[in-house]
Amino acid sequence: MSMITIKNLSYQYPIVETDVLHDINISIEKGEFYAVIGSNGAGKTTFCNVIRGFIPHFYKGDLRGEILIEGKDIRDWELGDLSQKIGYVFQNPFTQISGVKETVFEEIAFGLENLGLEVEIIKEKVENVLKMLEIEYLQEKNPFELSGGQKQRVALASIIVMEPDILVIDEPTSQLDPQGTEEVFKIIELMKNKGKTIILVEHKMELIAEYADRIILMQDGKVVKQGLTKDILSDEDTLQYGSALPQYALFGIEMRNQNMDLGSIPLTEKQSISVVQQWMKKEGLA
Amino acid sequence: MDQIKKSILHLYPTTKFLVTLFLCISVFIVPGYLYAYSVLFICMFFSYLAGSFKEFSDLAIKALLLIVVFIFILQSFFYPGTHVIWSWSIFSIKQEGIDFALNLTSKIVAIGSSFILFFRITKVKDLISSLEALGLPPKVTYIFLSTLQIIPEMKKLTIVIMDAQKTRGVETEGKLFTRIKAFLPTLSPLILGSIAGTEERVLTLESRAFSAKVKKTSLYTVEKTKYDPIVRIILLILLITLIIWRVML
Repeated sequence: MSMITIKNLSYQYPIVETDVLHDINISIEKGEFYAVIGSNGAGKTTFCNVIRGFIPHFYKGDLRGEILIEGKDIRDWELGDLSQKIGYVFQNPFTQISGVKETVFEEIAFGLENLGLEVEIIKEKVENVLKMLEIEYLQEKNPFELSGGQKQRVALASIIVMEPDILVIDEPTSQLDPQGTEEVFKIIELMKNKGKTIILVEHKMELIAEYADRIILMQDGKVVKQGLTKDILSDEDTLQYGSALPQYALFGIEMRNQNMDLGSIPLTEKQSISVVQQWMKKEGLA
Repeated sequence: MDQIKKSILHLYPTTKFLVTLFLCISVFIVPGYLYAYSVLFICMFFSYLAGSFKEFSDLAIKALLLIVVFIFILQSFFYPGTHVIWSWSIFSIKQEGIDFALNLTSKIVAIGSSFILFFRITKVKDLISSLEALGLPPKVTYIFLSTLQIIPEMKKLTIVIMDAQKTRGVETEGKLFTRIKAFLPTLSPLILGSIAGTEERVLTLESRAFSAKVKKTSLYTVEKTKYDPIVRIILLILLITLIIWRVML
C-alpha cells in the first residue's frame, strides 16, 4: 500500500472563485524522495498543505477528492496525531520558532513536550538530534538570535526529533545563502538515508537532480508531469511547463541540438564530466 | 547573605505570591495609613535581601509616585468636607480630603509595591511553570510567554520598518507633526505583518503537535524548597494573629 494516495483532488480556497488544485492523482511510496517543482503560483505550497492536513483542518475552503494517509482519509485524521506522522518545515525561518523557549535545546524539545514524553527520553532524543545534525554548538543559544540558516536547521531539528515517517519540506532554502542551503540539503540527505519519505518543494534544480528520486511537476494547479528524476529533468519538454532544468541538462540538450550527441543527457556535475569524457574519447579528441 | 538571597529567589512562585497576597490583605486588616505605607519599606527590605533593591526602588518610585501625587492633589482639593485648612479663591484643602487621600494612597502604595516585589523576585518562566502545575491550560500559558518574547521582537521589527520607510522617503524624524505623520506608514506594516505572522506561527505550533490530546510534559520545572512550608506557615500564623487582634480590639 502507498504511504499517501491522492485521487481526483481539487481544492478551492475560501472567497476565491477558481480552483487552486485541479484533479490531482498521485501516490507517494514509502522511502522515496519526491521533489515538487513548477513556477510560482502553480499550487505547490497548497499541495503541501493538503498532505500535511492543514487543508482542510486549518484552512477551510472546498476540498474534493480523496487523500489517504496510510489508508485513512485526511479528514478523519486529527491534526495533533498527524504531527507524528508527517513533519512539516516551511520557507520562513523567522516564524518557525515556538516563541516561548529561551534556548535551542528547549526549542527542539518543545514538540516532544507537547507529545507528553518523559523528560529523560526527551533529553536523550534532543541530544541525539543535535549530534546528528551537527548543531550541538547552538544548543545554549536563544533561538531568536540565530542566523537564517541556523534557524532553518533548528526548525528541521525540531521536526526531525519527533521522528515522523514523512517529511514535507516547503522551499527550505529560498531565504538562505549558499552555505545555509548546503547544510540544509545535508540534513535532507541524511533523512533520505534513514529511509524517510520526503516531499520537497524546491527551485534549485541542480540540487534536485542530485538528490531526488522522483519529480512531480506542477503548473496552474495541475500535475502536468510525474516520474523519475532522470526522465523528467533530461526532457526538453519540461521547459514548456514553466520549470527550469539543471544547467548540466541544458548543456546536454544544447550539445544534442548542435549534433554532438553525448549519448545521454547528464543531470549532475559528475555525470557531465563522465559523459563528456566518453564523448571526447569516442570522437578521438582525448 | 548569599544564602538568604538564594533561598528567597528560589522560593516556589506561589509561595512568593502568598507573601504578596498577605501584604495586600493585611493593609485592609490593620487600621490607619502608617502600616500601609510601611509595606513599601518592608518590600524594600525584602528586595534588598533578594539583591534587587535598586531595581525595585526605581520601579516602585517611578510607578507609584505620580499616582500618589495626583491622588493627593485631587482628593485634598475636591473631596467634600468642612474642615478647611487652607484656601485660595475657589480652591480649598480640606482635612477630610487629606485623610481620604492618605488612606487611599497608602493602600495603593502597599498593593503596588508588593506586586512589584513579586515580579522582581519571580522569573516569569517559574511563574508559568507553577501555574501549569496548578492546571492552567497550556494555551493560556503560551499566550503569556509568547507575548513576553514577541514584544522585543516587534521592537526590532519596528526599527527595520522605520529604516525601510526612510529609504522610501518617509520622514520619521524632526518636528512632532512629521513624526505623527510617519506613524501610519510605520505602524500599519507592523500590525499587518504581525497578523500575517500569526498564521505561520499556528502552522509552526501545529507542526510541533501543540494540539495533540495528551498531557504535556515539561523539561523545566520549579521545585518547592524546604523553606516553602515554613514561609507558608509563618504567613498563616501572622494572618490569624492579625485577624484575632483586630477582632479583640
